[in-house]
Amino acid sequence: MKTHIFAFALSILISLSARAELKWEQTTVELHPTPADKQAIGHFKYQNPGKTPVRFKSVHASCGCTTAQTQKDEVPPGGTGEITATFNIGDRTGTQVKTVTVETDDPANTKTVLTLRTIIPQQLEINPTFVFWKQGDKPDPKTITVKVGKEFTVKHIKVTSSSPDFQTKVEETGKGEFKVDVQPKETNNLVASTLTIQPEDSQKVFYATARITNSPVVQ
Amino acid sequence: MRSSLVRQILILAVLALVPAVGEAIYFRHKISWRSAILPSEMVTVDQARAWGENVIWVDARPDEEFARDHIPAALSLNEDRWNELLPQFLAAWSPGKKIVVYCSSLGCNASREVARRLRREAQLPDVFVLEGGWEGWLKTR
Repeated sequence: MKTHIFAFALSILISLSARAELKWEQTTVELHPTPADKQAIGHFKYQNPGKTPVRFKSVHASCGCTTAQTQKDEVPPGGTGEITATFNIGDRTGTQVKTVTVETDDPANTKTVLTLRTIIPQQLEINPTFVFWKQGDKPDPKTITVKVGKEFTVKHIKVTSSSPDFQTKVEETGKGEFKVDVQPKETNNLVASTLTIQPEDSQKVFYATARITNSPVVQ
Repeated sequence: MRSSLVRQILILAVLALVPAVGEAIYFRHKISWRSAILPSEMVTVDQARAWGENVIWVDARPDEEFARDHIPAALSLNEDRWNELLPQFLAAWSPGKKIVVYCSSLGCNASREVARRLRREAQLPDVFVLEGGWEGWLKTR
């Protein structure tokens, strides 16, 4: 009986050590790009500790904004490598989590999900990014709040309107916050303006929109 | 008899809690990051179509996919070029219009993100996410 148990355990151990598998150094990578970065790149390193080669069947990113590349199609026994995931930041903000699904011919573990967590620093948080008046409304000022991100220091901001139809006034309220009052000269014409908000000593530009809209649709 | 039963239940509960806590710690970075969305913020193709001219269709897919094909009269608004595309979208919006955002397939998160930013950042009302996305719309075309 004991011999049977020993043989069974031994066969399990042998089959485990012989099977092909990829060992990942980490399946989650956290990235902290700078405000100037256009891309965030994560490296997912792997090793094949098995005794047979592992072939990649497919590598798919969860979003069109992320691409993933393998260095090779097949990982020999004892071989190492990495999958590079490149996330295009674009105009995204906040914490972005994208995944890359890797499929191999390893029957025991065909699918591995790699997670790329990118924390995009936000120098200014603008709220709201859109102010509007209905045609014929009283041209009262509306306020946009500009909040400076925790890890940044901004003492002054400059706000410019692309159209002379809107005037802007910036007020520093302290605690890293600014109030931007936006006021149309009148609300009879359907006009719009892009408001450019720029921290001093910074190349980064933020935007808000001011507009006179037509009246609501009657349903 | 009853105290023994209670004790056994408690032991089982504690035993179940140990792996649950371990799993919560181990998978803390692997939680679902799909933007939470209320059922009331989803809309079916038929519902959106019934709104007729009162809808602005917003395509949250990348530029290439929008260029290939899109819902007629849809406006492109994706996060790759958010700052550039948002003013174009806002120029088409007017109070009372309903906004229906879509992206590709059910697993796509871009429409949820775009809808979230329109609600939170631009503070627009009546922003919905299209159930089934682009593929859902294609099925009913």
